[in-house]
Amino acid sequence: MDWQLIGDILRLTVLAGLGIAGILAVLIWKKNLATKVTFLRLVIQAVAFAALFYFFTFSIPLLYVLIGLFVVTLFLGRFYCGWVCPFGLIMDLESMLRKALKKRYRIIPDRLNRALHKSRYAIFLFFMLTPIALWLLDPPQNFDFAVMMARLLAGPFRPYSVLIDPMIPNVVPWTGQLIINDINFSYAYAQDIIAFMGENIGQIFLLAFVTVTLIGGFFIRRVWCRFCPTGASLGVINRFKAFKWAPLLHIYKDEEKCTKCGVCKRVCPLQVNEVYDQKGGKIETSQCMVCARCVEMCPYEGTLQLKLGNKSTFTSRNWLEPSKSE
Amino acid sequence: MNKAALEKKYTPEMPRKEIDELRSTIKAASQRVIAENIERMKKADPHRPEAMKYFDDIADLFGQRQKEIQAEKEKGKKVIGYMCLFAPTELILAADAIPVRVNSGWYDTSKLGDRVVPVEVCPVLRSTIGAKMIELSPFLEQSDALISVLTCDGMTKLSEILSDYKPIWGMNIPRVKDSTQSLRFWKDEIKHMKTQIEKFTGNKITRKKLKEAIETSHRATKAFRRLQDLRKGPPVIMGRDAMLVNQAYVWDDKKRWTEKTEALCDELEKRLERKDWVCPPDTPRVLVTGTPMFWPDNWKLPTLVEEANPRGIIVADEQCSGERILNDPIGVDEWSMDDMLNAIGERYLMASTCPCFTSQDGNEDRINWLLNKVKEWNVQGVIYYVVRGCMLYAMEYTRVKKALDKINVPIYYLDTEYTREDVGQMKTRVEAFLEMLTARVDF
Repeated sequence: MDWQLIGDILRLTVLAGLGIAGILAVLIWKKNLATKVTFLRLVIQAVAFAALFYFFTFSIPLLYVLIGLFVVTLFLGRFYCGWVCPFGLIMDLESMLRKALKKRYRIIPDRLNRALHKSRYAIFLFFMLTPIALWLLDPPQNFDFAVMMARLLAGPFRPYSVLIDPMIPNVVPWTGQLIINDINFSYAYAQDIIAFMGENIGQIFLLAFVTVTLIGGFFIRRVWCRFCPTGASLGVINRFKAFKWAPLLHIYKDEEKCTKCGVCKRVCPLQVNEVYDQKGGKIETSQCMVCARCVEMCPYEGTLQLKLGNKSTFTSRNWLEPSKSE
Repeated sequence: MNKAALEKKYTPEMPRKEIDELRSTIKAASQRVIAENIERMKKADPHRPEAMKYFDDIADLFGQRQKEIQAEKEKGKKVIGYMCLFAPTELILAADAIPVRVNSGWYDTSKLGDRVVPVEVCPVLRSTIGAKMIELSPFLEQSDALISVLTCDGMTKLSEILSDYKPIWGMNIPRVKDSTQSLRFWKDEIKHMKTQIEKFTGNKITRKKLKEAIETSHRATKAFRRLQDLRKGPPVIMGRDAMLVNQAYVWDDKKRWTEKTEALCDELEKRLERKDWVCPPDTPRVLVTGTPMFWPDNWKLPTLVEEANPRGIIVADEQCSGERILNDPIGVDEWSMDDMLNAIGERYLMASTCPCFTSQDGNEDRINWLLNKVKEWNVQGVIYYVVRGCMLYAMEYTRVKKALDKINVPIYYLDTEYTREDVGQMKTRVEAFLEMLTARVDF
């Protein structure tokens, strides 16, 4: 593709991302919406989108991105999923569109939702183990480390791409391999599906995936985040006992102040029940993506807190202002 | 009237003359009681806020507000009464009808209720039946239909008895409040109530109207919470005044009530700056919980506490005639019809701390909420007020006592009736408790 065009797209997208972030920031400042985490989150998502776009066009070694991601996750929990992920941004925008059209959202039954959350691990393991299995079926003659790594990373399923795919294809549209009328369509997991299945079948699968997530995302809030293998790999870090301290950014609940009004359960875009079900203290779940919507909506002062370590960064308060923001 | 309908009737036929006589005497007595209560409230606080004057006027049940509702009714508005707080008032407001609460606090009518139900029954119900028999309560008379939420056993049967007179819409409330299936069930009830109200009033509840109604009650909750926060510090308002303000919400116009309460809060904030306390800041701070206390007659406990020697001050209450009316806002996530209805359902079911519920951990919410209140409002003693026949509150006492014993806050169980005869005896009991609290404060 023409480098000139790429450059233009790059500049425009970064500009658009930053512009949206700027507009939202001005809105927060002007309308005194500092208490609205939702707006802050959109600002960060827009900025992150612009930044990722910028980084990926210089093709940074993906290993660095991965390491950065794990470090962030270790310290901040699934902060990445809620506040950075561009695929998440797409689904958030769809939700906003749905809100604007005054359509209701659908709810996945709790048991199915939990099953979906579990199926993340299966998907994750499948993607991670297939290259190893393929590698074992056809063992290399020469046990050179570089060759081994190269084979692992370049195989039909590239394990690392499971982790970053929700990020790249959305950000860099010209890496997509689905070409219709000379337009590049790009989407999460596009490269993988096509690389594995071949052009034709891959495109069919890809189309199916796109329809499911796009239409599903319109009716169900954050639909893909429920199966996302990236989310699983990030969530799994916080599951180990040794990392009990790990998600420094977490939601904390004060048991005595809570009247169990159920608002936190209903507003959660991932339908996480733990915030409601747990007695109090630090909320321990690998499903929560700390988007802090529950903290924002909790109507009792100081009941839910978004804590960074022991310091509370954001506390639920009386949000009883007239609903200018929505 | 045909025979079947006559047989169904619960209440005895009373001659018209007797009804009128009884009504005029009890009404006159009641007006005297209202005036006396207000007079005593005025005397208790020498610098009573100006804004309280509005609430004094609105507190006269036979006065201004009754006439207003009558005028609205003549214009074609419907009045929908309700007994328990679970009735979705936002839906009533959204259908351009007027919600009023019709529970009665008259002592004298409870004796009339004895003709229908035995004395062992909760006096709130007996009094409501009696008030209906002699057509005393203006709001009960004016309401075109009643929403009865079947909470305690008494309320369930009361709705049957009142169905002699008015169309009654029963709302079935699940008793386990935190399970998914009960929530589903209750949301269906709310949706059904919506269609019922729409059919009855002839006004469609649109998304816009419902949003407006919810925002109205949000603003009211905001004003209410402001008042509550002001009571956290040294006392700037008598407990009775605040309780009256809270209770006036159930029959007042919601928007006007919000305005006036905000004005009251402005005044109290100034008072806080002046450090003009209603009583010495070391007065024992009391929380009242238990059976609802309805204006006008059933005002004896707050009066006793705040006029006793040594004096106490009520800084908070946990009653469905008080703070439970407005404490919980409706948490709407998205302003679509569906989500608004879900939010209304959840607010009325899940946030409530009424003892008619149980949950997997046994209505833990109420105890947690009480403990939180004791801490936040610096409460030094809790009075657990129960009228005879109120089983739910009486049976929950032991658990509440255990929880409060753990944090070393004294609790006193005070049982009484709808009668003025035991005031002297109650006074001794309340004063003994307050004396103990004062000693603890000094200590």
